[in-house]
Amino acid sequence: MSTKIITPVAEFAELLPQEYKDLVARGPHGGRRSVRDLGTFKEIVDEHPHCAGCGVALAVRLLAAALPSPADTLIVGTPGCSFFSLVQTALNYSNTAFGNQNAVAAGLKRMLAIRFPQVHKDVVVVAGDGGIADIGLDMTLHSWFRREKITTVMLDNEVYANTGGQESGMSRLGRVLNMAPRGKLFPKIPVFELAKVSGCVYGARVTVAGPYRLGRVVRNAVLLARELGPTYVQVYAPCPTNMKFPPDQTLKAAKEAEKDHYSFEEFMSTEAAEYLARLKTAPEEREEAPEPAKP
Amino acid sequence: MYVTVRVEVEKCSGCKLCIVSCPDPNVLAFIPEAKHVVVNEHRCKGCGLCATVCPEEALTVSGN
Repeated sequence: MSTKIITPVAEFAELLPQEYKDLVARGPHGGRRSVRDLGTFKEIVDEHPHCAGCGVALAVRLLAAALPSPADTLIVGTPGCSFFSLVQTALNYSNTAFGNQNAVAAGLKRMLAIRFPQVHKDVVVVAGDGGIADIGLDMTLHSWFRREKITTVMLDNEVYANTGGQESGMSRLGRVLNMAPRGKLFPKIPVFELAKVSGCVYGARVTVAGPYRLGRVVRNAVLLARELGPTYVQVYAPCPTNMKFPPDQTLKAAKEAEKDHYSFEEFMSTEAAEYLARLKTAPEEREEAPEPAKP
Repeated sequence: MYVTVRVEVEKCSGCKLCIVSCPDPNVLAFIPEAKHVVVNEHRCKGCGLCATVCPEEALTVSGN
């Protein structure tokens, strides 16, 4: 979705709503953007219905700003809290049946590679902990085993927040929730460790308390997925509504988790390290938004 | 009365920490010429995350 496609003809320009005019004039397409440029362009077009102080909404904002070429990125999501704001981003977005996101993304990536052989089309899966660790775990793991060149981003709020607070596989041991009054009976599913042994070339575990670091790892993950293989980013996004803390304490909760069970961790293969080192010496070589392909 | 955040532009240093900690889009915008942020009060949900990260204490949430 390049600026050329979304620009209306002059006769219609006045009739369109303000949000659409803003998307064309101040949208994320064209030019290089990063988390540091937030506040000077529109990364999400319209208001989203997330609760006040939502960690997931913050993570989606940062992620939308950190993508290396937004015009050539396709986001694949699944039901859950994350898709409320994902549908409002100025990006191509596709929703799937619950848990199927990595299977759909793998197919789309292969199709886009055939249709646009000259252009890097990034396929990024953005889903919650329920979609990736519980219902979609087999699809996620199999896409990694097959070395599909897609990026998987988990927005981990450690609860099924959208449906009232059931425990998810990623909830912490002993966590009492609205619909888990006896507390979680088993520990978190180690998806990050599974990613290491399942073929991911790059993985990172971050929280929303480090916005610039989140932006950096998402950019690395998307760029590496273009060339080498599957990549994985796990983002801790606390939920004030279900974890029962005031909405202005979200970042404090994320910082506390950083000291405890959500410390920053990054792994990469030897080829990935070499590739990133090469990017550092010649950053303009690959990060430039590619020219749109002719139909 | 709606709960919303207000910015004291004299105190604002333009570090943009509030912008990268706000979960809602297009609430806080940076004015490069004036080097401070402005608030769109109609979009703000009043969570107060920006006020907790502001090192200059330039942001206050009304109703608190």
